[in-house]
Amino acid sequence: MPSAPASFACCDRCATLTPPGLAAGGAQAGTPGRDPARRRLLKAAVFRPVADPAPPDGANVAGRLATGFDGDQAPAYDPSQPVGYSDKSQLPRTVTGTIMDVSPQVLVLGEAGEEQRFTLIPDAVAWRGTQLEPAALHQGDHAIVRLCPSSRYTADRVWANIGRVTGIIMERSGSTLLVHEGATRQPQIVGIQPRAVGRIQVRFPTLEPGYLVDIIGLRHGDELIGMMPATSQPAYPANGLPEPALVSGRIPTSISGSATWHEPHDEPPGILGVAYPALDPETGCAEAALSGPQHGFARMPYLAIGSVLRVRNECTGKDCLASVTGCASIGRLFNDRCVTCGTSPRGRVADLTIASFIALGGELERSCFNATITIGE
Amino acid sequence: MTVPMLQVIREVQIPLVAVLLLTGCVTKVRQMRRTGSLDSGLGPTVLFPLGMRKPVALAMCVVEAVLGLGLIVTAGSTAATGGPVAAMVFRLGAGLLFLVATSALIELRTVRPDAGCGCFGELSTAPVSGRTIARSALLTVAIVSTLGLRAIKAPHTGTADLELLAIVCAELLLIGLLSPEVGAGLIRLGYSEPCELRHVASGRTLTALRRSKQWRRYSPLVASDVPADIWRELCWRYVVYPSRYEERAADLVFAVFLQYRRPLVHVALVDSGTGLPLPLPAGKRRVRLAPLATAAEAGTSAAAVGAGVAEAVRASEAADAVATADSVGAVDAVPAAGGVPAADGVAAADAAAGDAATDDPDTTLVDVLPRQP
Repeated sequence: MPSAPASFACCDRCATLTPPGLAAGGAQAGTPGRDPARRRLLKAAVFRPVADPAPPDGANVAGRLATGFDGDQAPAYDPSQPVGYSDKSQLPRTVTGTIMDVSPQVLVLGEAGEEQRFTLIPDAVAWRGTQLEPAALHQGDHAIVRLCPSSRYTADRVWANIGRVTGIIMERSGSTLLVHEGATRQPQIVGIQPRAVGRIQVRFPTLEPGYLVDIIGLRHGDELIGMMPATSQPAYPANGLPEPALVSGRIPTSISGSATWHEPHDEPPGILGVAYPALDPETGCAEAALSGPQHGFARMPYLAIGSVLRVRNECTGKDCLASVTGCASIGRLFNDRCVTCGTSPRGRVADLTIASFIALGGELERSCFNATITIGE
Repeated sequence: MTVPMLQVIREVQIPLVAVLLLTGCVTKVRQMRRTGSLDSGLGPTVLFPLGMRKPVALAMCVVEAVLGLGLIVTAGSTAATGGPVAAMVFRLGAGLLFLVATSALIELRTVRPDAGCGCFGELSTAPVSGRTIARSALLTVAIVSTLGLRAIKAPHTGTADLELLAIVCAELLLIGLLSPEVGAGLIRLGYSEPCELRHVASGRTLTALRRSKQWRRYSPLVASDVPADIWRELCWRYVVYPSRYEERAADLVFAVFLQYRRPLVHVALVDSGTGLPLPLPAGKRRVRLAPLATAAEAGTSAAAVGAGVAEAVRASEAADAVATADSVGAVDAVPAAGGVPAADGVAAADAAAGDAATDDPDTTLVDVLPRQP
């Protein structure tokens, strides 16, 4: 059974790789040059717009000269625009923790010796394998709580023990799967609940080694109890990705597809980030297995850790800026469509952190939303 | 005359079909080696249960190779190669293969209309169409027509050579018209990836950077030969070198446009401590500054050569004086391009080259002449 190397860092894992010709000594996380925020700052310095001191007759020329590029050639980056919520008051926040106590009106979460109390609105809904009343949640459940945008201490949605495994089947023994989620993660054990077997096999007919799987269920220790399929299975095995279609002309800055979420594992909780499927092959993707496919299903422009994307949920109309924090080494192999509202184009364009997914109005148990990402904002 | 012509047409079918079979086998093997999978995208194999796809794909490849080679070896119907019986067996086998293939393609079109025929590996990804089926049927007829044919002999006269050539060309044309793979192959031959999707090695970017004027001008500021950071976004790769400026630690950032020839380069100096941009030290000046309006006009005329070398030098110097030092390439590119949008990286960089050379301390008079197309 393969084991994941433990030497990789978390969110900056791809940035800490040493591309050819780069100082090996500077590869440690935390080196100023590798800081994604610093990259944004340096990029902004190169393409910064300069105040136009030109006289009236030369104003146009000077304006173009000072900017240094036409808008469609260089990245249209606005360093003054903060990364994160486009409007903090409009987007919900997320809190995670262990349930200490719950009643129909109040939810108490405890984390690291602190207790946080949240008022549940009358229409609050919980999920624990299925939809239920919040009062039916158990003490000790790991909860992901969506807060109302208007109040920091009011919750309207709770997911308890929700988990997701997206990867390549390594082994199968009866209804138990061993799934490879990337080189930096430990293989995941998925035990499919007997009453969910039929439901999952409708969408994942080939539960055999080498094929892709994406299942949502309940976390029980290190194991995931598979409850529902998150998507449909591609017809090809993971190493038989079809040749991508040829793309010509300019690549549009807005790309539509499916946006999914992933469990944090070693990411800090609450981070607003996105795993992007097409990181520059020169810097590489630590999560991707060396022997696996080095490209994804959808042809997307190459970016780096720290690049900023605008992610828009086409179902809710909400959008926000999120920085690239990882590479979707498994997500990029899928050619699925999201059908949360309408039918999205094939391919996953973003693999969001839970906080980003919820902030954009996504429902975790629905696994995806139709999304449009805009690059270069 | 008709009988010999028909005879020649029948004889031509054997090498043609053999070459097509061998080409199909080779392209399938190439795809298998590339994807590491024996059963992916090989057309009619998707009609089989999962466990049988791999052996079926392998068997199809082997059968094609054996029949292709067998048709060629037994074309002479000599005793050494088994005589007419062996030739008949291989031709019959090829006919049977194409007959089965035609039936399978009809079935595939009904059951999986999105699947390609897989006849020529990854070139055959277009959904099965009437053309594909017609081609398979044509090849069935072609190889069946050779049953009972005696030994193939090379033509003895020039006229016979021409006849043979004309028949081969006509049949190749017909097969080409019935093959969606020809279109796909031509597209691949003339395909150029957009820069956003193009894989460009970091080493190549560094080489291009070190050949640029910006590097020659600002490399004295670099404190280490090894970049502190390299990353890429869209069509630009950013290279950061540790630097010192007026006793302060700084980062010298180059943005290199990802094109193979004369890439556009921007540069900035950033204070390591505060993160604020620092003014880049000015380059050597040989000619006094000219007003802005003159600069713009002179920039255009510089591109047209007629204004003369001295004017071009003045234009470039003036443009530098107006713009910030971090956009030297673009500064030169915009006026010199004379309406060419800077979005066209090649055009902008080429246009810049004429001006860019002018404010280089090492520039000679020959350098400032515009490059010939």
